[in-house]
Amino acid sequence: MSKKRKISLSEEELVLSLQHREKIAVEALYDMYSASLFGVISRIINDTAIAEDVLQETFVKIWHSFSSYSTEKGRLFTWMVNIARNLAIDKIRSKDFKNQNKNQEIENNVTFIDEQRNTVYKPELMGVKDLVQTLKPEQKLIVELVYFKGYTHVEAAEELGMPLGTIKTRLRMAIMELRKHFN
Amino acid sequence: MEDLKAYIESGILELYVLGDVTPAERLQVEEMASKHPAIKAELDEIERSIELYAEENAIEPSEQLRNRVLGSLLTNFGDDNNFPTPTHVQHENVVAMQPNADKGTNFYKYAFAACLALLLASAIALYNLYTRLNDTNTQLSAMQAQNQHFSNTVSAKDSELNLLRDTSYKLIHLRGTAKSPESIMTVAFSPSKQKVVIDMEGLKLPANDQNHQYQLWALVGGKPVDLGVFDATSDSSGFKNMKAIAAADAFAVTLEPRGGSASPTLSEMVVLGKY
Repeated sequence: MSKKRKISLSEEELVLSLQHREKIAVEALYDMYSASLFGVISRIINDTAIAEDVLQETFVKIWHSFSSYSTEKGRLFTWMVNIARNLAIDKIRSKDFKNQNKNQEIENNVTFIDEQRNTVYKPELMGVKDLVQTLKPEQKLIVELVYFKGYTHVEAAEELGMPLGTIKTRLRMAIMELRKHFN
Repeated sequence: MEDLKAYIESGILELYVLGDVTPAERLQVEEMASKHPAIKAELDEIERSIELYAEENAIEPSEQLRNRVLGSLLTNFGDDNNFPTPTHVQHENVVAMQPNADKGTNFYKYAFAACLALLLASAIALYNLYTRLNDTNTQLSAMQAQNQHFSNTVSAKDSELNLLRDTSYKLIHLRGTAKSPESIMTVAFSPSKQKVVIDMEGLKLPANDQNHQYQLWALVGGKPVDLGVFDATSDSSGFKNMKAIAAADAFAVTLEPRGGSASPTLSEMVVLGKY
């Protein structure tokens, strides 16, 4: 897990070597983005094994459809995170996943329910919780739904019983907060 | 510029970055971004904040996963176009089973129909057989009864013949008295066997009524001895054994009240014959 072993390139270099389909680009891509993407996938899928499967599928899809990415469309991470989120959401909505949840062994149920309700202590989430605390409650709710739970803004509006416009405004406000925080 | 500001503040750019827009909206945002540097810059800002946010929320996957993912990417390095993931193979397997399952249910449908038809045909055949068996049983019992009747008749005729052949028997013809001159009957008497038999078939006596019966008497030393009662009917047949007696001088028949009398009513004597 030492940082030194990991390969890091600038985004431009990475995109270029991926377009040339160089082996080193694959390793750099994984080392630079696997943790960020896994963080997003893990928010949507609580089961670590399934989340890891989805992460693998994400990298496979990124690698095979890389030709459809261009720097003009935006940042590389934005393109990749949308692939990851879509695969994760597809997974939790798939028949397989739902059936799997129905067939939980009784012994696993306690931890399973704990995981479902996010009561498991995850040290890596500490920072997030703090950050989300800095958001106003109504912004926090929308970020939770749209970013953590994989809702679309239309679904979030239905869930919260709010007009679409309000959802959009609040989401924008929340992201403005984050921008302030990072600057 | 007011329009651009309103467009930025509508929140569409954030949704675009989160991938939560329709294809039409996507094209619109991309067109606006290529036309207006301000929107391009705003998009870039949003993307960076999302990326930083994700970095802050990063979770390190397990060390083995790195090898697994890199292995699966690099193994198929030269074979990009058909990369099958294990999950996809499973899905294809599941789908491939579907038509077989359909065929199976069809087969069972037809098999079930065939079984029903067979069952119906069997039931009809069984019913026919049962009816015929009943007919045959009826015929058989009728024939058995007939057979029984024949063997009875034969054995009766046999015993009659034996009686006639038996030399110890003597046939005595009782003739009608003045009271009924037309009457006649035959008595077979064997003193050695002490047996008295009357021939019912050759009997010619006036038919008796419900309250009266004929009674056979033996005259032994001038005294009448009761030998039993009998009815004279048109359909009587065969021989009838009467009471035993060792010796007799003559036989006579009188008409007595039903059940017989202790002594004969001589005025009602119908036939008489000497031994």
